[in-house]
Amino acid sequence: MNLKPLYAILTFLTMAAMNAQEVPYEEYDLDNGLHVILHQDNRAPVVTTSVMYHVGAKDENPEKTGFAHFFEHLLFEGTKNIERGEWFKIVSSNGGQNNANTTQDRTYYYEVFPSNNLELGLWLESERLMHPIINKIGVDTQSEVVQEERRMRYDNAPYGRWREQMFISLFKKHPYRWQTIGSLEHLASASLDDFKNFNTKYYIPNNAVLVVAGDIDIDKTKKMIEDYFGPIPKGEDIQRSTFIEDPITSTIKTKYHDSNIQIPAIFMGYRTPAQTERDAYVLDMISTYLSDGKSSKLYKKLVDEKKKALQVFAFNGSQEDYGAYVVGALPVGETSLDDIKTEIDAEIVKLQSEPITEKDYQKLQNKFENLFVNSNSSVSGIANSLARYYMLYDDTSLINNEIDIYRTITREEITVVANKYLKPSQRVELEYLPQEATEN
Amino acid sequence: MKKYYITLVFGIIALNLQAQIDRTQIPKPGPAPQINLQEPQHFELKNGLKVLVVENHKLPRVSIQLLIDNPPILEGDKAGVSSLEASLLGNGSKTIPKDDFNEEVDFLGARIRFGSQSAFASSLSKYFPRILELMADAAINPNFTEVEFDKEKQKLLTALKAQEKDVSAIASRVQRALAYGASHPYGEFTTEETINNVSLLDVVQFYEDYFVPANAYLVIIGDVEFDSVQKLVEEHFTPWVKAVPPSFQFSRPSNAQYTQINFVDVPNAVQSEVSVESLVDLTMKNEDYLHVLMANRILGGGAQGRLFLNLREDKAYTYHSYSSIGNDKYAPATFKATAQVRNMVTDSTVVEILKELDKIIKEPVTDDELKDAKAKYVGNFVLALEKPETIARYALNIETEDLPKDYYKTYLERINAISKEDVQKAAQKYMTIDKARVVVTGKGSEVIENLEKITFNNKRVPVKYYDKYAKGSEKPNYEVSVPEGLTAQNVLEKYIEAIGGTDKLMGVESYSLRAEAEMQGMKLNLEVKKTSKNQFMQDLKVMGNSMSKQVVDGNKGYMVMQGQRKDLGEEELKKAKEESAPFPELNLLNTDVVLEGIEVIDGKKAYKIKISNEKTSFYDIETGLKVQDAVSIETQGQQMNTIFNYSDYQEVSGIKFPFLLKQTMGPQKFEFIVKEIKVNEGVSDVDFE
Repeated sequence: MNLKPLYAILTFLTMAAMNAQEVPYEEYDLDNGLHVILHQDNRAPVVTTSVMYHVGAKDENPEKTGFAHFFEHLLFEGTKNIERGEWFKIVSSNGGQNNANTTQDRTYYYEVFPSNNLELGLWLESERLMHPIINKIGVDTQSEVVQEERRMRYDNAPYGRWREQMFISLFKKHPYRWQTIGSLEHLASASLDDFKNFNTKYYIPNNAVLVVAGDIDIDKTKKMIEDYFGPIPKGEDIQRSTFIEDPITSTIKTKYHDSNIQIPAIFMGYRTPAQTERDAYVLDMISTYLSDGKSSKLYKKLVDEKKKALQVFAFNGSQEDYGAYVVGALPVGETSLDDIKTEIDAEIVKLQSEPITEKDYQKLQNKFENLFVNSNSSVSGIANSLARYYMLYDDTSLINNEIDIYRTITREEITVVANKYLKPSQRVELEYLPQEATEN
Repeated sequence: MKKYYITLVFGIIALNLQAQIDRTQIPKPGPAPQINLQEPQHFELKNGLKVLVVENHKLPRVSIQLLIDNPPILEGDKAGVSSLEASLLGNGSKTIPKDDFNEEVDFLGARIRFGSQSAFASSLSKYFPRILELMADAAINPNFTEVEFDKEKQKLLTALKAQEKDVSAIASRVQRALAYGASHPYGEFTTEETINNVSLLDVVQFYEDYFVPANAYLVIIGDVEFDSVQKLVEEHFTPWVKAVPPSFQFSRPSNAQYTQINFVDVPNAVQSEVSVESLVDLTMKNEDYLHVLMANRILGGGAQGRLFLNLREDKAYTYHSYSSIGNDKYAPATFKATAQVRNMVTDSTVVEILKELDKIIKEPVTDDELKDAKAKYVGNFVLALEKPETIARYALNIETEDLPKDYYKTYLERINAISKEDVQKAAQKYMTIDKARVVVTGKGSEVIENLEKITFNNKRVPVKYYDKYAKGSEKPNYEVSVPEGLTAQNVLEKYIEAIGGTDKLMGVESYSLRAEAEMQGMKLNLEVKKTSKNQFMQDLKVMGNSMSKQVVDGNKGYMVMQGQRKDLGEEELKKAKEESAPFPELNLLNTDVVLEGIEVIDGKKAYKIKISNEKTSFYDIETGLKVQDAVSIETQGQQMNTIFNYSDYQEVSGIKFPFLLKQTMGPQKFEFIVKEIKVNEGVSDVDFE
């Protein structure tokens, strides 16, 4: 038998695969405070250039909500060297793709190009940071576009406002109480100076991280970065306020009527700690345990066995200062929302009273390993993760190590965390109802 | 000497640094990167299953995809049978019970999903052999049971109900049904009735007819070795019995005979879904396939498309507007230009889309547009190489669409060879302005009037009406008739009852109200005081300064506007007095005000009562509460309309008051939020001096 060499080859392949998983990167600061992270992967002729700014909806003045997201639109309007309306054209006429998104914590811009256009990507992002044009025509146009975005995503979409309704009740002091889309009235009444001031305050190199990932040459890339971003002046240090929420001590009950739906839904939301806290990772596992996959506790019980719910969902929205763990369901037929609530509570109580089984625990570990492998599958995804771990977790190495945190979470810890955060008295119960229950 | 030399070197470096970049110029691309098109390995089983394998060891994972490329299937009066079949697949197998199956897949951190003629699985590569085995078993030996069938049927019915008012769901159903006809496989749709016609036996029959290997492809991508894949696939898929699906012919659907608007009324819509659509005979094999893709790209293929630039960037009607063109080897595909827009601009959107369509057919595109569109296709082609799925997709297309073997090797060349003439010819051949169907799904009461006025190329565009299931219908009538015998008095009485009843209201000698609004960052404070003795005071302050004040005390009164005081004339005083009563409706009970009909206010039906020539009030049919006052005043030949909306009624001293007052005056909108209401306290004669 010729077993031995085969075994050796297999081991070698496994090793290669393990190494392939590790995301190599290097990071440094420019003199103006811009943090730079480089990741080289020459397997496909593709490069991503991206910049994450540490500004999101939570940095907004309560009287001027929606600014961070509005900026995401505004900063495509043009710069000193890029005429209005040219941005998208330059990107696509060079075979690239680009987009941007805003959360409560940060704003992210990126381009993906064939790798021979790396310099173009750097130029675009440095222009945006160095001297964007903020004028009336741009503000007016984007303001209408944002209004349509709100109508499409929130007002016309079935269940489009559950998040907004949930967060109003979950947060009383913290800016997480409003959504990134913000208030249309605030935006409509904002002056041009308001926008310019926002730009001066937050869009500065010392509040940003630049990531270049993909088919690059490290030395040449560093030189280009210095050329394009080096001359941008450093901005004033940003003073940020901290907002501490009082604990929720008795259940908050609330209702919302949506004209776009026919089937009611129940959402139960719990306020959870900052995403960097170990407990937040534990809650991720709890969320998966309860509702991810057909054999998860809630799906199996409510959808499969008792046929009370059309759909169950749980999600653990991690954020920089606080998170929200939301669990809920859509009832089938005559099932009442209270009935569903009782069923969900029973599962949570089980979780609080005894450790999950050894088998369920191993299943969770397998799931998180699978997620981890898939999270680094594209170069643009890696770029986004590098920026996020640096900016919001203050630890870039999590891109390779985060899985270790999940690996060390114990069954007992899951019980402790379920007790700490998931009491009925700590939650918001949102009944999300059809506008006219009796029509048709 | 040495010193100078150093300075000189520095000088050159500095100069170099300066000259290195010129921000005012767009950086030029470097030399084109090398393109490497890997080819998948493949083999075929005796039962007809064709297998493609793409080895990619970047990550320790693997995906498995099973596709059955059958011709379209008409489900007819059993529409929904394919969805039910899909949801019953993957529930274990004849030998593995459902719970064990799900538990094992979940335990391995893997996924397995089924479509009606497809399956997909993904897992870490170390679990590949088991996942492949589970997927094959579930696909070949499905576990169809009556219990699961009843459950899935119930879920499907509930899901259908959930979509009943979903504007996008309604729009997409009607768009397809009108384009193909409801009895074509691509136009038919599922209803409660057709679902109830389906039995478990029908599902089994559907599976046996169509889930067969004749047209099946299995695509495996990832961290695997070809040889072991081949062995495993042969082992697990050989039991799949060879069979060919039944095949039927369908009459070819055709375009509308002339350009027309097809309107579907969805009263809860806050945006209209506009789709200009037509059918195209297009397959990837057509010689001008890439040409028409280019035309579509320029018209509406992305954020640089003419539709996006016109409707979003220029006019801000919408968040986005795109066009798309499909390809299909079995039946006509669809061309579509779409936008979701606010109700007000629905008609303008239709006109703009038609204009753009007309233009791309009649005029050649510009050199720049073509150059940019080509660059985008080249870029997309290069970027797609990052994904191993791309290689599999290309190989699959060559096979299923009957393309030349070198189709993707020559792709970039063929893109670059396309001329402006090619693009225009393709637009003329595949797009139509004479036989376009414009499907508008939206709120009829706000958009129909203007839609009916649309003319294009000097011709009126006719509007035809359809219901939510694409059946022709009458033009919706928004004038709802008032129940027989109901009078204005009844409506007013119901209102008075709803807010507290005559006795309670009569007991009010005075009340005061404080409310706040915001305008361009400034605080507006409104204070109103009323008594039963014809006393009335209203003061509006901006940032603490009085902007307008009105006072009525019995038979005299005055107003102050921005510091200018003016006594009220006889006519003005009379009007002011009408409004000064704490509850004007009490005084209307024995007058001859007229109930004019029913209208929809903020999505709800309300009785309309004409109070005077200037004022009309609306009362909710269900709650009886007043929801709106519409006041129209003519000053210097100009009609000024002001709308007051009342909502958020809350009880104070046993009487319901609206706590949200919205005032709309032309383009101006104020939302006053009531902060305090006091009844029978805090008001004295001094307030009206």
